[in-house]
Amino acid sequence: MARIVMIGYGNRLRSDDGVGCAVAEKLASRLSSPQVEVIVCHQLTPELADTIRDAEIVFFIDAARQGVPGTFSCNRVSTGSRANSSHSGSPSGLLALAGRLYNAQPQALSVTLPGTCFDHGEDLSPELKDAVPRVAAYIEMLAAAILESREINLLDGQPTSSRAAEVSSEPSGC
Amino acid sequence: MDERKTIVIDPVTRIEGHSKITLHLDDQGHVEDARFHVTQFRGFEKFCEGRPFSEMPSLMARICGICPVSHLIASAKACDALMAVRIPPTADKLRRLFGMAQVVQSHALSLFHLSSPDLLLGMDADPSKSNLFGVLEQNPSLARDGIRLRQFGQQIIERLGGKRIHPAWVVPGGVSEPLTVENRDAILESIPEALAIAVRTIEWFKGIMERFREEIATFGNFPTLFMGIVKEDGGLTFYDGKIRMVDASGKIAADGLDPARYSDYIGEKVESWSYLKSAYYKPNGFPDGIYRVGPLARLNVVDRCGTARADQELAEFHELQRTAALSSFHYHHARLIEILYCVERMGHLLEHPEILDKHVRAIARPNALEGVGAAEAPRGTLFHHYKIDDQGLIRWANLIIATGQNNLAMNRSVLQVAKHYVHGDRLTPGALNRVEAVIRAYDPCLSCSTHASGRMALQLQLLAPGGEVLDEVVSS
Repeated sequence: MARIVMIGYGNRLRSDDGVGCAVAEKLASRLSSPQVEVIVCHQLTPELADTIRDAEIVFFIDAARQGVPGTFSCNRVSTGSRANSSHSGSPSGLLALAGRLYNAQPQALSVTLPGTCFDHGEDLSPELKDAVPRVAAYIEMLAAAILESREINLLDGQPTSSRAAEVSSEPSGC
Repeated sequence: MDERKTIVIDPVTRIEGHSKITLHLDDQGHVEDARFHVTQFRGFEKFCEGRPFSEMPSLMARICGICPVSHLIASAKACDALMAVRIPPTADKLRRLFGMAQVVQSHALSLFHLSSPDLLLGMDADPSKSNLFGVLEQNPSLARDGIRLRQFGQQIIERLGGKRIHPAWVVPGGVSEPLTVENRDAILESIPEALAIAVRTIEWFKGIMERFREEIATFGNFPTLFMGIVKEDGGLTFYDGKIRMVDASGKIAADGLDPARYSDYIGEKVESWSYLKSAYYKPNGFPDGIYRVGPLARLNVVDRCGTARADQELAEFHELQRTAALSSFHYHHARLIEILYCVERMGHLLEHPEILDKHVRAIARPNALEGVGAAEAPRGTLFHHYKIDDQGLIRWANLIIATGQNNLAMNRSVLQVAKHYVHGDRLTPGALNRVEAVIRAYDPCLSCSTHASGRMALQLQLLAPGGEVLDEVVSS
């Protein structure tokens, strides 16, 4: 049973909207622990509630419309008041659904990367392409800390440069 | 002066895609006409022109995020015809498996996520509670079953196709990769739970049907033809066979029709008020050639399902009416029986000794300039028809989708429901929900891949003949 679930989601045909998928794919190629499950998907569909029900912590990795490209933010996610539907889903909505369906209460972190282009296309902007391995390394570092039961510190809501995250040897994070 | 008024329902909620409904009232305020408008435009048939035919399955899968597998299969079958190949037997079985996994997940979405609020909470329930959360509060095990059953289908698609949405595993000539032992065993292991969910959901549904007598009598309860692909022995299939039509009395009106010659017997008409074409059975003309496709139609046209439990349920289903089952409310019931059939049948296919065979693709260059592929999608019969040039580039394409074939019936169903439930120039929430619910019964797929997140608010407008808004209701 995976203790950590990482979900990268977005539309890969909408340029930077696919950055969450790209980060998740990078993580999948780097992580081999049976305690970590990496999921790449188009959107947060209701059945993912079943996937996260037994997790200790869930990472939601997605693009953002606001912010400086090349940076990323890491925020705790609180449980929402409405469950996800088949078409529109948010991390808080998925947590709400998991809570109502299975009494599951995993912690959750939302890692978002501001994009510049959401038009038709399969390529990421140069800034986001550069950010992908750094964000993946950062999440990997957090995951390692969690698996080793070390404390992690998060500066909720503060945009963080990818470079800063990369050079941080301690899991002080974003 | 024209005193007629119009009620507009825009958008229709809890369906796949965007549409609106207009109800036209006469001088006395009675509903005299109803129209179901599909307000989105796609253009796939046009923009694929000039592309290599081998790209078509992947391109066509993008039509829909819910039923991409059906488009993959129909498109690949059209490409098989262009190459004039017979695909390896194992590829045939794997495509069937793939298609049925999608039927399960799509039907589960329709029933549990979109329609169960109506079925569980009632048609007159508070609209703010008619959602999955409302179902959760009333019957949490039903909600969990819905989640699990959809996940079951999605996971099979992912195991076979590599990803849940828009997998590209089905290719011209077969499939791209054989089934692994690990994936076969994992799918087999999940079947008992899915079977148990299917069985108890059918029992639950049969238990609540009595509450919906009035809806059964008024939800698209009128004579039409029904069409579907059947096996040679008259059994249920989602992959291959001949077209059969039955009439409202349940008698076979046409049988053994070649799907590749669909244009001999299916016509399409364009209406100025919708982007959705209306298909009709040519021998009866337009609009008398109205017919229905999808779960209800399939169970009306087949002689048997072909698996033990589903056949027991089919026998009960055929007892619902002495003729063909005419009410579109029965689409829900038919959907559940098909889920049961698919789960049973997938188990049989996975136990077949050939299922792990490595030879899963026939390779060939184009050997014909025209090809048709047909399959049964969750919502009904699907046709892909391509013409190519000597270089293998697409020169012309035509798609006939299930929702278009149900268009005439959906419009007539809305009219029937509106005439029964809408009185005067105001819509009650219960009447409004029933007008939408009859559309949901068909589970129309209005190309959900173009959906706009968060725009599922409901807007009602009462318009005077000059366009003046006399009344408006907006809910979310």
